[in-house]
Formats: sequence, C-alpha cells, structure tokens
Amino acid sequence: MAAPSAAGLGRRLRAWVPRLMQVRWSRYNPSYLEPEVNKELYQKPLEELTEEEREQMELKAVRPIKAAPPTLSSSVFSDPMISKFTNMMMRDGNKVLARSLMTQTLETIKRKQLEKYHKAPENEKETIECNPYVIFHQALKNCQPIIGLSNITKGGKTYQVPVPLKDNRKRFLAMKWLITECRENKHRRTLMPEKLSQELLLAFKNEGPVIKKKHVLHKMAEANRAYAHFRWW
Amino acid sequence: DHGYGLPTAAKECLSSVAGQDVPTPQRPRAVFHTSESDPAKHTEQHEGRHYSIPLEEVKAVFPHGLPYRFQQQIQTFNEARVMVRRPALELFAYLRSTSFAHPAVRYVIYGERGTGKTMTLCHVVHFCSRQGWLVLHIPDAHLWVKNCRELLQSSYKKERLDQPLQASAWLKNFKTSNERFLREIKTQRKYVWGKRESTEEGRPLGEVVEQGLARVRTASDAVGVVLRELKLQSPRGSFRLLVAVDGVNALWGRTTLRKEDKSPVSPGELTLVHNLRKMVMNDWSGGAVVTTLSQTGSLFKPSSAFLPQELLGKEGFDALDPFVPVLVPNYSPREFESCYGYYLERKWLQHEKARTEDGKAELQFLSGSNPRQLDRLAGPL
Repeated sequence: MAAPSAAGLGRRLRAWVPRLMQVRWSRYNPSYLEPEVNKELYQKPLEELTEEEREQMELKAVRPIKAAPPTLSSSVFSDPMISKFTNMMMRDGNKVLARSLMTQTLETIKRKQLEKYHKAPENEKETIECNPYVIFHQALKNCQPIIGLSNITKGGKTYQVPVPLKDNRKRFLAMKWLITECRENKHRRTLMPEKLSQELLLAFKNEGPVIKKKHVLHKMAEANRAYAHFRWW
Repeated sequence: DHGYGLPTAAKECLSSVAGQDVPTPQRPRAVFHTSESDPAKHTEQHEGRHYSIPLEEVKAVFPHGLPYRFQQQIQTFNEARVMVRRPALELFAYLRSTSFAHPAVRYVIYGERGTGKTMTLCHVVHFCSRQGWLVLHIPDAHLWVKNCRELLQSSYKKERLDQPLQASAWLKNFKTSNERFLREIKTQRKYVWGKRESTEEGRPLGEVVEQGLARVRTASDAVGVVLRELKLQSPRGSFRLLVAVDGVNALWGRTTLRKEDKSPVSPGELTLVHNLRKMVMNDWSGGAVVTTLSQTGSLFKPSSAFLPQELLGKEGFDALDPFVPVLVPNYSPREFESCYGYYLERKWLQHEKARTEDGKAELQFLSGSNPRQLDRLAGPL
C-alpha cells in the first residue's frame, strides 16, 4: 500500500472545516477512511472477495485511514452493548474503574448462577442460565420501554403525550434506569458489582424495580391516550 | 456437549501418559485430572494435571493459607482442585530425602507475580500433613507488619510490641490444623503469664494455646512459647516439623506501624516477628523450612522486584543464607492447556467464543501464560 505523496498531503489533506459550523463534527478530511478491525476480512484470499470488497481494498491503497478510537477492539470477546454500558457507568473519565466494575459484575453473576446450577437437581439444570452475557442482554431487553412520554405545549398548557421511541432511545433508557437504580437505592456498604448483579438477575426474570418503572411508564402512556393526537411526527 | 476437539498439546499429554490415568476416548477431559489425591504419590507423570482435595481435608489442613480467589473457586465449583507442577515435585523430592539429624534446610520459593508460589506452598503443606508432619503455617507474614489496630507494649520485654489480634487469630487456626500434636507435646518449663496464671512443666502444649486464646493480651507471648517448645523438641525425633512461611520478606523489611510517639516500628521490635525470625534460622534439626517471597503484599518494594536479593534486602538475605531457591515459572503450554480445559469442563468459561481456537489463542496472548492473569481474564468470560 503506497503512502500518498508529500505534495498531495499538503494540498488534499488539509484539516477540514465545514461551511456551516456543526454541533458535533470531526476535523478529519472527508477522504479519510474508517479503520477495519475484522480479522477474517484480511485472512480471506483475493479470489473470495466480492466486487465491493475488492474496490474497498484498492481504495485503501491510496486513501489515508483515521486513527482507531480506544473503544474499537479486534478481540473476539468485545461486545458493543457492554462497552456502551461501561461508558455510561463511567464517572470523571475513569474508564479503568468502570471496566473493572463491569468485569466484576459479570463474574458475580456467573458465580451466583453456577452455584445454583451445581446445587440444582438434574432435571432443573437445563433451565438455569449461566452465561452472564446472555443474562445481561436479556435483562436489558426486558427493561426497554415500548412507548415513551414527551412534553408538548399546546394552548399554554404542557401535556405528557405518548410517543413511539427509537431503538437507541429505548436502549439508553434501559441502561440509564439500571445504573441510577443501582447508584441510588443501595445500602451504603454494598458495592456496585454486587448490587448490579442482583438487579440484572431480577430484570432477567422480569421482576425488580427497573421493570416496575417500565410498567409505570407504560401505564402513564396508557392513561394519557387521549392526548396522542397532539403528536405531529 | 462443548463441541471442542482435542488440541495438539493435549494429545501429547495423552500419548505420554501410561497407567491407570489413561482416559477413554469418550471422556477427553479426564486428561486434565488425576484421581491420585495423595501428594506423596505425585510424579512427573502427573505434571500439569489437577488433583482434588476432599473438602473436609481442606477445612482441617488449610484453615488459613489458601489465596482468596482460590477459596472463591472452591465455593463455586464445590471442589478443590490443585494443579501438580514441577516446582512442587522438586520440593517433594528434597523433603523425602532430608536427613533429620542435620540442621533444617531452608527452601525459598520465588517467582514473578501471580505464578503460583502460594499454591506451591499449599501443595507442600498438604504433602507434609499427609505424611504426618507438624505443620507451622504462617499464611502471610505481611499481615503482621501492617494494618495493626492494637499495639500493646510487651509485658515480657519492655522494648517489644505485642499484637494481640493477629496472634490470637493465628493461634485459633493453628489449633484447628494440629489438634493431635497439641495433646502429645508437653512443655519443658514453667511459664508464668501473670500474677495468677501460669502453665506448669509437663502440661500439653494445647494448654498454652488455650491460654493465649482466653487471655488475648498474652497471645503473642503464647505464640513465642509454642515456637520455642517446637524448636527445642523437634530434634528429639518424636515428630517432624515443617515451618511454612508465606511472604518471608516481610520479616526483614519495614513496617507501616507507628508507636504512640509516631516513631516508626522496625520489624525486630514486634514479638511475633522476632520469634518467627528465630524459627526460620537453621540452628535446629528434625524438619525443614519452606518459605515464599511475595511482592504482592510487601511494603516499600517496587512491583517489578521478584528476586530473593531484591525482596529480602541485605539483612534478610544474610539471615536466610544458605537456602535452596526454587523458581516458579509461568504456565508451560501443557499446563496452560490443562488449566483451560479445566475451566471449560467446569463451565467457568461461558462465552461462546471462549471455546473457539481464536478465543484460546487470545486468552493465551493476553495472559502471557501467567496463572493469575488467566484467572482474572477468565472471570468475566
């Protein structure tokens, strides 16, 4: 892969400033490409690549690549949901602490479930889920609300109007509720991994305070059905 | 089923094995276990395999001394499985051929962080207790030189300091593991504890321990008496004594304790440390001293230090010299396969990618075959 020439660097790859100032933008020149972390793609021989992939590989020979962000990982064990949850748990940029809390939570869940598994009789062993990742994903899915409320002002009065939620918003609300619940409603001496593991296990079984909060939101939305026509999007 | 094939290193284990441990093709995971639960019968054939200690024996032999993560593992898996490794086998060979008429030989187990020094020491302790030795196991000497809430001035010697809590905790655990010997060994001298309390000559040593537990103020002196008696009576040959100290570099370093006038305490001023130093000397016979160096709990030592000279300092090295050093390395490829296979079999590795070859290669790379790192990495997976 030949690097671009020095003259081209100066002329084409100037730091990019948009014409209209954006709220969230990056200084990368639009010609920079995203880094590719998928190992399997590089191990495939040339013949097996599709047309698009072949074009992409040729483009990489002439275009520069952006720097990889620290959250991008080529590990087989990396999970985007877990990374997002860790980032939301992080305080003051202390990613090391947030990540260690997350790993301790997963380990605690696994230990609790394995102890139950080993003590259970043979016929019940199949029903006990020991994989902490499966529990985590299922618990988050159970906590996601289907419908949300939005404040709409009409005629001087503000109404709580039921609105559909986007997927990202649902995921965000589920994670936010879990974290706030674990931060606020715990005994002074309980540590975060212990409390989080308890909440995740309860949410996995569709019990617990976070599921209750979701149901309360649904009930409110159901109660305010009459104002649904205020929504214009 | 797990759906993983036998990797090449495990196949080597299979081919090099002979005797009753040959696994049947239907149960490939038996290659990581051995049914031999007596450490005396462990040989090179068992290297890299896990043997299990019955849980009652764990409570009797190890009331203290097992690392915390290992205790959690025992509780989760409902079994205690220890890997047989070369340093432990080496130590067994030395201990079998010790001559009890000669002065006690000191063995120092050293190695980098997390390579399994404490587990090797526990394996040796299990071996000796099975052989019927009296085991004097100090789980972590660093606990005696830091975080002490109560420091009393010793009534025996004015300039020394007592640690009642640590001493009584140790006496309690010592009692659990060595009940039989405490009844048989008799004191050789009268010990006076206070105005009204004393132990006569010829009473069983268990009474001294009871005295230390009942009157916590005298616990440190009780520990000193126990150590002295054992040292004097061991050359007679009625019992064999193993002194197992984990973190022996704590005895000659610095402490974080301060006296009431805020001046620092040196380890020699603590009764427990003073008596333990005398025990670790080679001026008695009829047993052996097996110690471990530890940087993990140590005070004022850099984290990259692991060699005896660095951790013991000049004073400690001169005190322990001459000793037999035993290096504990990271896992060899065969031991790594064994550990990985054990985790898979006990369902500790739950992530679906952990079962693939890529996952295993990643675990080996990230941990660098270090046992502690592997344990930490496999925790959340």
